[in-house]
Amino acid sequence: MSSFSNPHYMYLFEMKNGKQKLAYGESPENALEILRIRLTEEEMAEIIPDRYIKINQRQLQQYIHNLG
Amino acid sequence: MPLFSRPRRQSNILWLDLGDLGDLVHPSGPHEQWQDHGLGLLRTILHRAGILTDIASTRAVTSWEQLRPQLVGYDMLIMNVRSYTYPMALKGAKLFKELNPNGLVLTGGMHATVATDEMEAVAEFDRICIGPGENIIVDLVKNPHDFPRVFHGRGARSMAEWPMIDRELWPKPVGWRIKRRWKWKWPLEPECGWGPGPVATILTSRVCPWQCVFCNENSYIPNMGRKPVDQVIDELNYLDRKYGIGSVVIHDSMFFQQPKWLREWLEKYPRRTKRWTYWAAARADTVRQWPDLFEALVKETNWRTISIGFESGSDRILKLLNKECTEEDNYFTIELVNRIGDELEAKGEKPPVFWSNIMLGIPGETREDAFKTMRMLKRMKRVMPSISFYAPYPGSALGYQLIAEGKSLMRKDNYHRFPDDEKVKGVDYQFYRDLLKGKYDAEINRGLTGVAGAELYQGALIKA
Repeated sequence: MSSFSNPHYMYLFEMKNGKQKLAYGESPENALEILRIRLTEEEMAEIIPDRYIKINQRQLQQYIHNLG
Repeated sequence: MPLFSRPRRQSNILWLDLGDLGDLVHPSGPHEQWQDHGLGLLRTILHRAGILTDIASTRAVTSWEQLRPQLVGYDMLIMNVRSYTYPMALKGAKLFKELNPNGLVLTGGMHATVATDEMEAVAEFDRICIGPGENIIVDLVKNPHDFPRVFHGRGARSMAEWPMIDRELWPKPVGWRIKRRWKWKWPLEPECGWGPGPVATILTSRVCPWQCVFCNENSYIPNMGRKPVDQVIDELNYLDRKYGIGSVVIHDSMFFQQPKWLREWLEKYPRRTKRWTYWAAARADTVRQWPDLFEALVKETNWRTISIGFESGSDRILKLLNKECTEEDNYFTIELVNRIGDELEAKGEKPPVFWSNIMLGIPGETREDAFKTMRMLKRMKRVMPSISFYAPYPGSALGYQLIAEGKSLMRKDNYHRFPDDEKVKGVDYQFYRDLLKGKYDAEINRGLTGVAGAELYQGALIKA
């Protein structure tokens, strides 16, 4: 899983309340698994798993206002 | 003679250095005495352009009352604001405006970049520069009214364009006691346990391109070319001739990157300098990627304090921090440095020591994750632990996300870096305090042999 062999990407998942959830991992599925480490089932249920965009770290600051 | 004598005025522009009150009078530790390279660089640029500035420092006084007379009568105040110095910047700006109602307050720096909205809401900040400012600072100070209140700065494309910092533009320690206690030979910096003083701090690169979500500096600092090896060496030799260097601290977020540059450093540093020992940072996965280069640098260039952001000894938490390193990477690096240390010690040389950055109190971390981290720490034969509670700073991906989720306990008036502060809702801080006191050593030590006890990490909690 080091950055040379298994690089991570950032994803913004849409949420049911119109906000977005930032996640990161090798793939969107992996990103959701990683999110699950710190979020409750209730919080995870707010995320729409198949509606996401992949973003570059350098674009991060453009998206922070709609995080939820 | 008053303890806090007022420096001679040479300008109507004042630069206010920010930090905890009293850090240059009676610091609680050596790290409070690091100087601000941003301030040094920008003041150097201004002075070379013929724009003189005076300097005052919140660190050089022990109360705001002492600072008050130093702010009177200036037309302009300039501050380089970081998140952890933001409360001082806010108070400084308000005090300056109270004393100089027509004066202008110009701000920039990391906090202006990552929390612009917050600063925009404060009327006392007249100009807010987002991003690097080295290529606009002269125009801004000459003609501040040509700039909108909030604007994007312009940085150099390469650090090669930066002038050598005139270190005598840094604030001075106050009084003979601090100078004697820390053997401080200003403008170099005092010894902090990483190598003999006087210490020359230097930057060879800017911006770590990795994407750890407690930092993400690459999302708000543009890429910039690394300072050429020859330029770094020339600066160090100049500083040695002028002030005498004891050791070097390379303040780069990530020194051990760009193998081509590192190979040139390996070739030239031992031959063209006095081969001072130095502190510099790497990642566990870069060490694993280029182990031969790493070993050669440690042995031949005298890299003797190796800062590694291990952060955690648990893969779950390393993933959560987006560290893109594994437990295996961490242990590879630990075993390698242990071996190099044994070899050098056997030859009568000083072995390398880890400056081991560890984070605790990460939301989602279990007790077993924390135990694994402490076990990892105990596998390091020679280590200075640098432990902090995770802090959700704005600017970082996880910080923004936790703030948006309403889980951050950090407030605008307490971005301060008190190590014992509780920073995230739902984290059992009492558990971590007990952990650091050794209450769980029996569980941590299970399966480990010949290891140190809690004395290894007691008192190792640092500002973060």
